[in-house]
Amino acid sequence: MSQSTQSPRLETPKARLIGLSVRSLAFVADNPVVVLVAVLAILVLVAGNIQPRYLTAAGLRTTLLQAAPLGILAGAQTILMLTGGIDLSVTMIATGAAYVAANQSPNGAAVAILLGIVVGVVAGSINGVGVTVFRVNPLIMTLAMSGILLGLFTAWTQTILQGSTQVAGLIKTISAGAFWDNRIPYSVVVWAVLSLLLIWLLRRTGWGRLIYAVGDNEVAVRLAGVRVWQVRISAYIVAGILGAIAGILLAGRTGAVDLQLASTFLLPSVAAAVIGGTSIFGGVGGYAGTILGALILSVLNSILTFLNVGQAIQQVVYGLIVLALAWGYAGLTRRG
Amino acid sequence: MTPTLSVWRRAVARNSWVLGVWLLLGGLIVWYSTLIPAFGQFQIVSISKNSLPLIYLAIGQAIIVIAGGIDLSLGSLLLLSNVIAARFMDDQPLGIVFLVAVGVIIAIGLLNGLTGYVISISGVPDIVVTLATSYIWSGLALWILPSPGGGTAPEMRWLFTGSPSGIGGGYGMPILMIILPTLLIFVISRHSRIGLSLYAIGSHSVAARLAGLNVRQAKIVSYAIGGAMAGLAGLATVAITGTGDPRFSVGAGATLNSVAAIVLGGVALTGGEGSVLGVVATAVTLIMLNPILIAMGIDSNSAQVIQGVLIAGVMMFGGVALLLRERRS
Repeated sequence: MSQSTQSPRLETPKARLIGLSVRSLAFVADNPVVVLVAVLAILVLVAGNIQPRYLTAAGLRTTLLQAAPLGILAGAQTILMLTGGIDLSVTMIATGAAYVAANQSPNGAAVAILLGIVVGVVAGSINGVGVTVFRVNPLIMTLAMSGILLGLFTAWTQTILQGSTQVAGLIKTISAGAFWDNRIPYSVVVWAVLSLLLIWLLRRTGWGRLIYAVGDNEVAVRLAGVRVWQVRISAYIVAGILGAIAGILLAGRTGAVDLQLASTFLLPSVAAAVIGGTSIFGGVGGYAGTILGALILSVLNSILTFLNVGQAIQQVVYGLIVLALAWGYAGLTRRG
Repeated sequence: MTPTLSVWRRAVARNSWVLGVWLLLGGLIVWYSTLIPAFGQFQIVSISKNSLPLIYLAIGQAIIVIAGGIDLSLGSLLLLSNVIAARFMDDQPLGIVFLVAVGVIIAIGLLNGLTGYVISISGVPDIVVTLATSYIWSGLALWILPSPGGGTAPEMRWLFTGSPSGIGGGYGMPILMIILPTLLIFVISRHSRIGLSLYAIGSHSVAARLAGLNVRQAKIVSYAIGGAMAGLAGLATVAITGTGDPRFSVGAGATLNSVAAIVLGGVALTGGEGSVLGVVATAVTLIMLNPILIAMGIDSNSAQVIQGVLIAGVMMFGGVALLLRERRS
C-alpha cells in the first residue's frame, strides 16, 4: 500500500530500510524470545507509567505472586503441548490438591504438600492412560477428568473434606511470604527452581528429547523403538504434579480454599504457553518462552486492574492482545 | 479390498455410530419413562426445549470440526447473542423483536466468519485464535449487559418453547425447532457443493486445495455457519430462560459441552468425518443425563462425576474398538 504512495526519490533509503528490516526480522525469527522480552519490557513500562508505584519492589512483587502459579500451570500445559496433548483438567487438579493439602494440614506441612501432590500423580496417570492406552482425544479425556474431579470434590467438601478450607501456616508463608526485606516472594523461588528443573529436563535429558520427538513425529519415534505410551503417561503425570504444586501455592496465597480456586487460570495457562511460542500441535517450543508468556499475561492483568476499566473491557483487551501476540509470533516464525 | 467395498464399509461404520447414539438416546428415554411416576408431555417438552441451545451449539461445532477447525468461542458467541437479544427485545413490538432475532443470527455468523478469515490468513492454530476471541466476545457480552436481566417477547418464547410464558406448552414447537435447523444444516453439509467441500478440506486440506477447492472460503463458511448456530443457540437461551446472562463460566461450560457432544456423536476432532445427525442425539443425551440421574436418586455432584466417567468411558470404548479393528486388519 505504501509503495504506491511513496515518491521514487525515496527509493534508495527505503531499499536500505527494507534490507535492514529483513535482516532484523530474520534475527527476530531465529530468536523469538527477544520479541517477548521487548513486549514484556514495554508492558512493564506502561504499567509503571499508569501507576508509578508499580516500578517498586512491592509493585513487582504483586505481579510475581500472580505469575508464579500461572507460570507453573503453564509449565504443565507446555510439556503436554510439546507432546501434542493438552490438559483442561489441570486447574481442577490444582483445586483438588489444594483441598487435600488443607485437609492434611493438621498433620504438618510436609505431609500436606506430599498428599496434595499425590492428587496430581493419580489424576495425571488416569489422564495419561486414557489418552495413550484407550486413545481418547486429550481434549475430551481431560475435559471429562475435570468434570469428574469437580463432582468428586464438590461432594467431598460436604463429607470427608468438610471444614478443610485453610492450609498450614508454613504453606502460607511459602506461597505469600517474601524475604530480603519483603522483596522476593518465596513462591517465586519455588517457581524458579521448578523452571530450572523443567528447562534442564526438556533440554538436557533423554526424556525431554523424547517429549519433543513424540510431539514432532509419533510414528517415527515408535518405529525407532520408543515406548511412546510411557513418554506420554509420564508427561501427564509431570503435568499433574505441576498442577498440584500450583494449586497448593494458590491456596496459600489466597489463604482459603474453594472450588473456584484455580478455574480462572485454565485459559491463561494455555495462552501463556502459546504466547511463549509453544506449538499446540507439538514438537516446537520450550519452557523459557512460557515463563515470559506467564509474566506478560500477569503484567497485562496488573495494567488492566490499574486502568480500572471494568471487567468487560478487560476481557476484550486481554483477548485482543493474546490474539495479536499469537498472530505476530506466527507471522515471524513463518517468515523465518 | 476394492475401493467400492472400502467406501461402503466406511459408510456403514460411520452410520453405525450415528445409529448407535440414537439407539442409546431411545433406550435412555424409555428407561427414564420407567423411572418416574408419570412420563408425558411435560417431560418431553422440558427435555426437548432444554436441549435446544446445546443442540444448536453442537451442530455449529460439528460443522467447524468437520471442516478441520475447532471453535472454543462458540459459548461466548452464545452469550453475546443471548445478551443482545435480552437487551434489545425487552418490551419491544414484534417487528423489532423479529428484526433483532434475524440480525443477531446474521451478525454473529459474520463475526465468526471473520474469525475464520483471521485463522486462515494468520496461520495461527484454530484453537488459539478462538481461545482469544472467546475472551473478546464474552467481554463484549458483559459490556452490553453488565448483569443478568432483560427479556424477550412472548412470541419469541413460544417459538422455542411452545408456550408464550416459557412454562408448560406443547412439545410440537421445541421438537420442530430441533428438526428444522438440523435438517437444514444436514442437507447443506451433505448435498451442497460448499458442504461437501467442508468435508474435503477437513479430511485433507492440501489435497482439497490441489483439487481446486477454495480452502479459505470453505473455512470462512464453516465458521460463519458455526457462528450463526451459536446465534440461534443464544436466541433459544433467551426464549427458555426469559433473561440474558453474561457470565463467562456459562459460555465456557457451553463450549466444552458442545465439544463433548460432537465427539460422542461421532465427529472426529481430526476433521472430515461425522454427521450432524449423530450430534443431535448426543446433545439431547448429555442434557437428559442430569434428570435421569436425579430421578435415580443420585445427587447432582455424583451426577457430575458419572457424566464425566460416561464421556471418558464412551470414548475409551471407541478407542478400544479402533484398536481391535487395526489389530484385525
